Amino acid sequence: MSWPPDKNWFLIAVILYGIASLYTFFLWRKGFRRDDWVCYGLLASGFVFHFVAMVKRGLSLDRCPIDNLYEATSFFMWATVAIYLVVGWWPRVRFVGAFASPLLFAVGIFAMFPGLDQKGIEPRYINGPVSAHAAMILLGYGAYGIAAVAAVMYLSQEHNLKYRKMMAIQSLLPPIQRLEKLNTRMLIAAQLLLTFGLAMAPFIVKSGPPAKLFTDAKFLWSVLVWSMYLSLIVLHWRKKLNGHRLAWGSAGAFVFVMLTFWGTNLLSKLHQ
Amino acid sequence: MSVVVVGLNHRSAPIALREKFAFAEREIPDALGRMRESGLVEEAVILSTCNRLEIYAAGSLHPNEMVVEIQKFLLSSRNVTEAVGTEIYSHSDSHGVEHLFKVASGLDSMLLGETEILGQLKKAYDLALQHKFTGKTLNKAFQRAFNVAKQIRTETNIQRGSVSVAAASVELAEKIFDKLTDKKVMVIGAGDTSEKTARALLSRGAHSVIVSNRSFERAQILAEALDGKAIRFDDWSEEFAKVDIIISSTAATRFVIDRKKLEPLMPSRKGRPLLLIDIAVPRDIEPEVNFMENVFLFNIDDLQAIADDYMDQRKSEIAQCEKIIREKAAGLFREPEHVRMNQQNQQAAGAS
Repeated sequence: MSWPPDKNWFLIAVILYGIASLYTFFLWRKGFRRDDWVCYGLLASGFVFHFVAMVKRGLSLDRCPIDNLYEATSFFMWATVAIYLVVGWWPRVRFVGAFASPLLFAVGIFAMFPGLDQKGIEPRYINGPVSAHAAMILLGYGAYGIAAVAAVMYLSQEHNLKYRKMMAIQSLLPPIQRLEKLNTRMLIAAQLLLTFGLAMAPFIVKSGPPAKLFTDAKFLWSVLVWSMYLSLIVLHWRKKLNGHRLAWGSAGAFVFVMLTFWGTNLLSKLHQ
Repeated sequence: MSVVVVGLNHRSAPIALREKFAFAEREIPDALGRMRESGLVEEAVILSTCNRLEIYAAGSLHPNEMVVEIQKFLLSSRNVTEAVGTEIYSHSDSHGVEHLFKVASGLDSMLLGETEILGQLKKAYDLALQHKFTGKTLNKAFQRAFNVAKQIRTETNIQRGSVSVAAASVELAEKIFDKLTDKKVMVIGAGDTSEKTARALLSRGAHSVIVSNRSFERAQILAEALDGKAIRFDDWSEEFAKVDIIISSTAATRFVIDRKKLEPLMPSRKGRPLLLIDIAVPRDIEPEVNFMENVFLFNIDDLQAIADDYMDQRKSEIAQCEKIIREKAAGLFREPEHVRMNQQNQQAAGAS
């Protein structure tokens, strides 16, 4: 696919995420001593352009735009920003945006790589359930993303509290216990979304042409990710994994997702 | 009308002298009445705190004359017979107003930027206002002083941060715990600073206090004062699972809490963070425990460094505050342009 007009809107959104990242750099340098409405505002503005880009693409395809890697990535980013805009309304968690914006910018740049926005074959399955399945799963990954951002914030603030005490006390970052709560809640929300999204998969495949769901790379990968996150939640619930370790687990699991998501998409015949 | 301020404070006079000049609140209306009756001043406010005694006055006498008379009044009304020189300072007109603004903003306080003085100044003003010892001039000056203090508080960092060990401890606790309302504090060693720190935590909502001390009687006294519970010194580890913050300030020469003691106790906490505040010298808590998961240790140097750093930040704001004060003081009694023009016109008409 060449450069469709909706991508201009996406480009503006990525630029705004980039400006937010740049602003974040100064917030970092100043030790997060100011309120973070600027970053929130930039991400909210980016979200508006991003939303327009997705609506335009969706209207042109007449379905939820998640047919290729560009669209899936764009949807994942959109879900992450949407969740942040809700969570960030809570003042002491607003700094999540400062940590989320570099991630969004990097993923946005990746999404615009040539070759990712290929026009695929028409979807073989019933439109509505496929859109719901993909939307739920991508929203789930967005929530995992916010959980990972909270985890990184936890680790950063924990490090400061132990070794750079003045910086810890002067920053406006939330208390680490609140960050742990945010991490846990986001993990649970994401797990529920992923569970519902994955549970729909067999029905979608059944209603379409014959396909091998249980040997599909993407499906197996999704089950692996689901199990990995479930074990994090269960261990936390059983008090075996708290604070520091939960933060490493959440951040590590999300890095794994980010590094393997696109690769397994390419390996999957069902998701081509 | 001239405005003057005459007084003494923690910088100009030792406490032995300051206490001789102090006014009890009930004495103030009478003193103000006598000043006015003697024809010295038309308006006056007396500010008497532990760190300062100041008389703000407005009258039609020449400022120098008013200052001398107020000094005489002060000495006689307080029955001070000894020679007093530079201990009593005075400022007049715009300098007097600037001084008032500085006092209101905490710039002239012992603890730079503190806010308690603003409340004391408001109380002193209200007392004078209530007894009708203020008028147009002092009302305007004091109202402006309160506005300037507010402006300085919002536009500068002069009041930002914790400048005491107790306040720094509270701020740290708020960086670790989501809320303090359900947090239990344990005080090991019933010292003065640990009491202040525990009180600061309680004032921010901490749930309860357990006090452990080598002398059980002292533990009981402090526990009673803090509305908490006293336990025997050797029993502190039994309460460990329940507490979230430990303040230690014993006179022990060895570590009271070390890694070896803490490690077997930590599983009972089920991953809850533990804040350790070690304000003892020599230290009570082995520094190594800071490397343990979910344990955050701060010693007296860490806390003092935080307090000092905040104080340095406040000091760096002084110039900005003084600039605001100079501008506001200069504009206070300057008549608006149209009023001044009218007066000039009237004078010109009268002359012709």
